[in-house]
Amino acid sequence: MDSAPYVQAKRLSIGYSNEVVVADISFELRQGEAIALIGTNGSGKSTLLKTIVGLLPPLRGEVAVFGMHPGSNPRRIAYLGQFHASGFVLPLRAVDVVRMGRFPSHGLWRRMGREDDEIVLSAMRAMGIEKLAESPLRSLSGGQQQRTYLAQVLAHQADLLILDEPAAGLDAGGRELYLQAIDNELRRGVSIVMATHDIQEEPALCNQVMLLARRVVALGTPQQVLTHDTLLETFGIVVFGDQRHVHVLEATHGHDDKERLGINKPRS
Amino acid sequence: MDWLVTPFSSNGFMLHALIAGVLVSIACAIAGTFVILRGLAFIGDALAHGVLPGIAVAILVGFPGILGAAIGAAAMVGGITLITQRSRLSSDTAIGLLFIGMLSLGVVIVSRSNSFSGDLTRILFGEILGIGIPSILIQLAATIVIAALAIICARPFLLLSFDPEQAEVAGFSSRLYHNIMLFMIAITVIVSFQTVGTLLVFGMLIAPAGAGALMARRIEVMMLWAMLFGVLSMYFGLLISYHFNLAAGASIVIVTVAIFFIVFIMQNLRSRRAVRQQESAHG
Amino acid sequence: MANRLAGLASTVLRIRDKYILVSMLLALVLAGTLSCQPSSSSPTKSIVVTYSILGSIVKELVGDKATVTVSVPNGLDPHEWEPSAKDIEAINKADLVIENGLGLEGGMEKTLQAARDSGVKFFTASDYITVRHVGPGEGTSSGDPDQVVGAPDPHLWMDPIAMKGVVSGLASVLMQDLNLDVSSQAADLENRLDSLNAEVAQTVAAIPQENRKLVTGHESMGYFAQRYGFKLVGVIIPSLSTQAEVSAANLAELKKAIKDNQVKAIFTELGTSPAVAKVIGDETGVKVVELTTHALPGDGSYFTFLRNIAGVITNALK
Repeated sequence: MDSAPYVQAKRLSIGYSNEVVVADISFELRQGEAIALIGTNGSGKSTLLKTIVGLLPPLRGEVAVFGMHPGSNPRRIAYLGQFHASGFVLPLRAVDVVRMGRFPSHGLWRRMGREDDEIVLSAMRAMGIEKLAESPLRSLSGGQQQRTYLAQVLAHQADLLILDEPAAGLDAGGRELYLQAIDNELRRGVSIVMATHDIQEEPALCNQVMLLARRVVALGTPQQVLTHDTLLETFGIVVFGDQRHVHVLEATHGHDDKERLGINKPRS
Repeated sequence: MDWLVTPFSSNGFMLHALIAGVLVSIACAIAGTFVILRGLAFIGDALAHGVLPGIAVAILVGFPGILGAAIGAAAMVGGITLITQRSRLSSDTAIGLLFIGMLSLGVVIVSRSNSFSGDLTRILFGEILGIGIPSILIQLAATIVIAALAIICARPFLLLSFDPEQAEVAGFSSRLYHNIMLFMIAITVIVSFQTVGTLLVFGMLIAPAGAGALMARRIEVMMLWAMLFGVLSMYFGLLISYHFNLAAGASIVIVTVAIFFIVFIMQNLRSRRAVRQQESAHG
Repeated sequence: MANRLAGLASTVLRIRDKYILVSMLLALVLAGTLSCQPSSSSPTKSIVVTYSILGSIVKELVGDKATVTVSVPNGLDPHEWEPSAKDIEAINKADLVIENGLGLEGGMEKTLQAARDSGVKFFTASDYITVRHVGPGEGTSSGDPDQVVGAPDPHLWMDPIAMKGVVSGLASVLMQDLNLDVSSQAADLENRLDSLNAEVAQTVAAIPQENRKLVTGHESMGYFAQRYGFKLVGVIIPSLSTQAEVSAANLAELKKAIKDNQVKAIFTELGTSPAVAKVIGDETGVKVVELTTHALPGDGSYFTFLRNIAGVITNALK
């Protein structure tokens, strides 16, 4: 068991060349652990993920992945971004997309073999899309496409998964498969950093939760972190309701949505 | 059926033109596939026009046009890279102006030549009927280079087309491979302009690959369709220009555009038929 | 279930399309190779002349002893015209190609050179004349390299005596290379050219000496001017071919030259911008007259051609 932290951030400030989005982040993620980043759009979740994988440089402080600079070890990291560029003009089949997950471990030259085909197939099975293998990506529904991207991540067989809104667009069946897959990965000893809107099921799988609202609002176990006050600070609104169907609304949503969902103000 | 073959079998220059055309089709199919996948159509067009000053200088001074085109393309790629790096905003305007500027510069340079409008016509519309063996050999070499690049860089190119961020995280520098792609497109333009001219080479880059994208579900198949369509365009274009005394370069491009629209219409009809079938099955 | 069928149908369609396409191609290729016939060689010699004016002389010389084809259609600009595939084929397969030389056939250079390299027999008219060169004071000093004094003038057909030299040279080449005896036709033609020369000289005699100044669309009247005693004042397009464009500086110089020399008329030709000619005419008050120097008249005769030229010039300047 690898005891050195997979991801380690020390007083890390992240952002773009002309602005700091979140300052002073410190946390550690060990092997087989998962951390959920929760916050509204623009709160810094995606920026933090991109900094960890090396797409953005840290503005201040340090972040180390497997003890090295971000981006030094593509073989061991799989990344799922929030938006997918173009993509839909391409004549690409679902299986082609999933196969791309095998590229980092093969570089330019190494040929793919039977073993790789097996990995690809089982990744697609894990997300329930093995029957859609030959279908062009553009003919798939949003949910099916998201399952394909998740299968690509699984096919990577990475040690660290960095996922931005991985459950977005999934239907109920897809969501179950996804949660199952996350569970399996964690059991395998894979570490996960995931950005999500969900304050129920996904955080429940994680060891740590970080609430972000352009600053670190809270960091700790799910029980510690997901309290009334912290959620209020993060989202500007808290909802009570049936525990199974909690929707966290972003501060950007308007009155009508709240009314529609029958959400009340907290009783004080 | 004689008229399909004899123009080529009894005329060396027609056969040379066809061979050159086939090589160009292969190169354009490969490069054109990536132009379409990466949405580089605009840059491809810019490159095609931007090589004009280089060619013009080459003609004026007396060294091979291909060399001049290479220099022009290098300047163009350099300019485009500079522009896209400096500005966070859409660089379309700047690139567009750059290539218009290069085009005008090229025309101005050529106007100093004795045979101004003849030269300009030849550069813009090609002189496929006058291609000699040295040019064909250069084209062969370039096509091999392009094919080699496509094979070597297949994975990063695919990743880059799918999602540049993924490419970066997977360990393939998106900047490097983007530049290699530009380089590949530049070589294609440089080597192909003699057949259909700089004005029309863009068509050879886009139309066969575009038709291939409509037909294929996989990228490898798309490229093969593109090659087939390109070769057919060359063959029938040359044939038409021979029998009806029409400009060769433009005839080729008309055929290739026609093929694209035929495929387009076919695909549209087919998908409509499929939708109707599905609707009647569910209804 | 229906979904499956639809999917299957579209897959089958796809496969079927591929087969259709491939079989079409194979059929074409097969049909083509099967119907390949060996080309028959015709007994009559084929001669290709690059442009119409020279072509008409060649036709008169050769008669029906050979098939004479002209490359550039009459009326089109031989400096710029580019051959189509069939034209290139005709040149490559000709028994003799007759060209003007001295860079007249700008658009055909590559084709002609390729034909030469592959062994086609050539006759270059300019080899048989005394080549004229641009003289000092002719044209405008635009700084163009081809306006340099000494550049050769290709418009040799404007002088019937030069054409005489061409005819006699061609007659012996036809005998030597194509085994065609046209000696009597040659002699006849040469006589007629002599008469034409005298005729033209007499026509232009009506123009007083001080009016014998030619300003033309481009410098194509050199041989005519030399033969019949005219002075070339300047050209609107300062180059020996029709392809160069005109700059503002050239125009100003030309205006000055016209005023200084007191020219009565300017002549526009094939390739001259009519707008430019009109502007000059308006500003200097001279007559603007059209001169057909590169195309044969309706009856296709060289003789009519030259007579017309002489007539137009005389009427404008006398």
